[in-house]
Amino acid sequence: MLTSLLKIAWRNIIRSKGFSFINIMGLAIGMASSMLIIMWIYSEVTYEDFHENKDRIYEAWNRASFSGKLQCWNTTPKILARTVEKDLPEVEQAVRVDWTSHFLFSVGDKRITEAGNIVDSNFLQVFTFPLLRGEPQTVLREHNSIVLTRSFSQTLFGNQDPVGQTVKIDNNQDFTVTGILAELPKNTRFEFDYLVPWSYKRSIGDDDSYWGNNSTRTYVELKPNASLASANEKMKVLKPRYQPEDSTWEMFLYPMGKWRLYSSFTDGQEDGGGRIAYVRWFGVIALFILLIACINFMNLSTARSERRAKEVGIRKVVGARKQGLISQFIGESILMSVIAGILALILVTLSLPGFNRLTDKTLQIDYSNPYFWMLFLGFVLFTGLLAGSYPAFFLSSFQPLKALKGVITNVNTLVTPRKMLVILQFTFGIILMICTIIVRQQINYAQQRETGYNKNNLIYHHFTGDIPKNYRLIKSELLSSGAASSVAITSAPITQSWSDGWGQEWEGKDPNDKTDFYRYNEEEDLGETVGLTFVQGRDFDLSQYPTDSTAMIINETALKVMKFDNPIGQIVKDNGEEWHIVGVIKDFILTSPYQPTSPMLIYGAKSWFYTLLIKLNHDRSTAENLKTAEGIFKKYNPEYPFDYQFVDEEYAQKFANEKRTGTLAGLFSALAILISCLGLFGLATYMAESRIKEIGIRKVLGASVVGLTSLLTKDFLKLVIVSFLLAAPLAWWAMHHWLQSYPYHTPIRWEVFVMTGLLSALIAVMTVGFQAIKAALTNPVGSIKNE
Amino acid sequence: MPMIQLSNIERYYTTGLQKTWVLRQINLNINAGEFVTIMGPSGAGKSTLLNIIGMLDQPNNGEFLFLDEPVFQMKERHRNELHKQYMGFVFQAYHLIDDLTVYENIETPLLYRKIKKNERQSIIAELLDRFNMVAKKDLFPSQLSGGQQQIVGVARAIAAKPKLLLADEPTGNLHSTQGEVIMDLFKQLHAEGMTIIQVTHSEKYATYGSRIIFLEDGFVRNDERIGS
Repeated sequence: MLTSLLKIAWRNIIRSKGFSFINIMGLAIGMASSMLIIMWIYSEVTYEDFHENKDRIYEAWNRASFSGKLQCWNTTPKILARTVEKDLPEVEQAVRVDWTSHFLFSVGDKRITEAGNIVDSNFLQVFTFPLLRGEPQTVLREHNSIVLTRSFSQTLFGNQDPVGQTVKIDNNQDFTVTGILAELPKNTRFEFDYLVPWSYKRSIGDDDSYWGNNSTRTYVELKPNASLASANEKMKVLKPRYQPEDSTWEMFLYPMGKWRLYSSFTDGQEDGGGRIAYVRWFGVIALFILLIACINFMNLSTARSERRAKEVGIRKVVGARKQGLISQFIGESILMSVIAGILALILVTLSLPGFNRLTDKTLQIDYSNPYFWMLFLGFVLFTGLLAGSYPAFFLSSFQPLKALKGVITNVNTLVTPRKMLVILQFTFGIILMICTIIVRQQINYAQQRETGYNKNNLIYHHFTGDIPKNYRLIKSELLSSGAASSVAITSAPITQSWSDGWGQEWEGKDPNDKTDFYRYNEEEDLGETVGLTFVQGRDFDLSQYPTDSTAMIINETALKVMKFDNPIGQIVKDNGEEWHIVGVIKDFILTSPYQPTSPMLIYGAKSWFYTLLIKLNHDRSTAENLKTAEGIFKKYNPEYPFDYQFVDEEYAQKFANEKRTGTLAGLFSALAILISCLGLFGLATYMAESRIKEIGIRKVLGASVVGLTSLLTKDFLKLVIVSFLLAAPLAWWAMHHWLQSYPYHTPIRWEVFVMTGLLSALIAVMTVGFQAIKAALTNPVGSIKNE
Repeated sequence: MPMIQLSNIERYYTTGLQKTWVLRQINLNINAGEFVTIMGPSGAGKSTLLNIIGMLDQPNNGEFLFLDEPVFQMKERHRNELHKQYMGFVFQAYHLIDDLTVYENIETPLLYRKIKKNERQSIIAELLDRFNMVAKKDLFPSQLSGGQQQIVGVARAIAAKPKLLLADEPTGNLHSTQGEVIMDLFKQLHAEGMTIIQVTHSEKYATYGSRIIFLEDGFVRNDERIGS
């Protein structure tokens, strides 16, 4: 029985090659798209899934009120880890992870800068990163021990046995390699090539036990069966106990399972947002693309029902029952979906590298994993059932007598379910199309926003090695060599905020004001180097005004907060120092181009510095400037590589996430429309074929080719118009919500809707029109005679 | 006990407010082993009567006992079983499945009766041999002449060894030599004990049977047994 059914299914596929091709290709593209998205979703929801104690690991967060708003964030005092171990009986252990370090490693003649973390020595006991060499309990116990990843140890030591080798860090201390880590999985927030014990931080004087300095991340492992609720009760009152002035400042533990996808808070409460929103949206898109492909299958199968009607009739007469026919037709669609699934797997394999580039992921298929094949099989069966169920019930319900007489079919008019399915396809395609355009408009809108400074020819370099000692020499030599037209020494790159704080004092300040200011430091010449606009006063100039080392520049937003009528000469107290304002600058974008600019204070030379900002000389080529600069850096900082960044490239990174969303939305909308058009083309072919006699008669009676073409196209056009009318408000709603998450966002313009409407109509007309014209041009003599 | 007992069978179609009568007050008994020919002008209701007997259609009034069982009072499932167990059909337009070979077409009813593979093979081999179709068993219907297709149709109809063979103008699409081949087959089957009911326009082919029922405007006008 089964072989007979398979045989007939296969012969059906072979006999109508065109339809089979459209069906299978549509399904394959749809399945491949869904599979890619499902893989993406899988990698998102399995973040940190590999840690043995994942259900007991938490991150410490703060919840405190600023200017009347409850905020949540996850940097903590360094002292917190030891305190929770002492004060909370629920806690098994706590581990601190410092900000990513970029240490210089010296082994023999090799000099390599690499990213890694300073961590508490129990890090590998809390988190499950397998060691190839060494024991988690002991590898980080000694002060001068270091653990390397296998790839980094190979970079440093080649094929030599790394364990026991010595490596110098930052030209400062020697470390002995005590352990080798397997490569880190990609689905974790941690990214390091080495681990150094916390004692190193202490030895360079970077440790403190001050409760007011939120400067590290603290992870907490609870005891098995310990209650999170009771631990959080104690966390809530921990800060006021040690820092009584922060009486309402709460801390809480946030579970590992939520780090990646949630971690989004509004007014001190989880708002259900975060990456999970993208996961949900992508899930919906995956399902709909698959559905669109399945709809093609349903529509083409039912449109061709008269071909199968006779077979249904005969089978019923010779003894088939309805259930048997249903399973026959579902079996056929499963066969199709198996073929399509194999094609989809090939498509996925081919497109995975590109998809990974687009999504910034390293997804891969583990072909040797039986679970993968089980899932794949399940996916194929699901698709086959989804695509085959409606046609199966439709075809198997034919009355045998009517089916044999051929009075079933009524194909000239599109039957209602089929119309609805086509509308569903196009509605979805049009929604995605509108979303794509609006996402792009939003990116353009933010990109076109005035940055407030000139990014061109601007590079920066962090302080490494001897730079803090020699930066004045470097600066003057860069200027005298002609490589740079201006150089500024600052605390951070011009595209990042490294420090912010509240509690500054000034005359006339409202005592309840807890405005958080960005803090930025410069020595002098920042205005000239990046091209800031001073609306009042001037930049720092230490040679003319030596007191500028305690001077301050504020931006316009800060001026509004401080409400000075005459800001120049006003005193701002911060960090136990008095700063006098010498200038007010126009706002510029320091962090997010989507946010309104925050109030900002720029402190003078009595603060700290970590970055050189260099405006390259635009009279010389960039390559030449960089070559000269490299020579100067090598001269004054010989141990370290010349490791610069272009500011405009870094600024462009601020759009990377949105660009990715935009590209993906564009890709998926193109695929959705493509698959829909494939189906429409198939339907149009069939309609044209089945109306060939009507067309012949009309032609004999005097209809023109244009008239006939529009007659055949009109029906489809109507469907697309209905789809558009459904899609437009839905797309508007979705995009309105999306844009709300950007305070600085583009308005939704009606032109977008008009454009998509016309475009989708055009695509549909072109898809159908080809078949319509072909049918209209047919010689009527032949078509009328064939009865 | 007659195999088929029809009492007061009536069938009509309603179009709008108008009733179009197809069958009226049909009372018929057909015994096992009869070879009945239904004749009459176009539109007399011949095919409708055949389809009602074949349980493919239902009358508006009347009763139909098949082997003493009331057909239209039984559950559909039961009726399907009866249909499957006792009846074979031959159509004017052959109605072979285009995608199946001769062999596979004959096999289809056997598959729905869950007959084992080696048994199927022997039944089909026997039929192919009997109808001289062995060489054509792997051809598709489109590769056969009309007569050959109808031979396959007959072979398929009797493959599951039905008690009753229903044939709706089996020779209607065939020229005379092909038609005679089919009718000779029917005659043989009848001689072997098969009950046959055929609809035909041909006076000549009507004489192959044992009884002629003449329908006109939905009524039985004449019912005569003929010697053969």
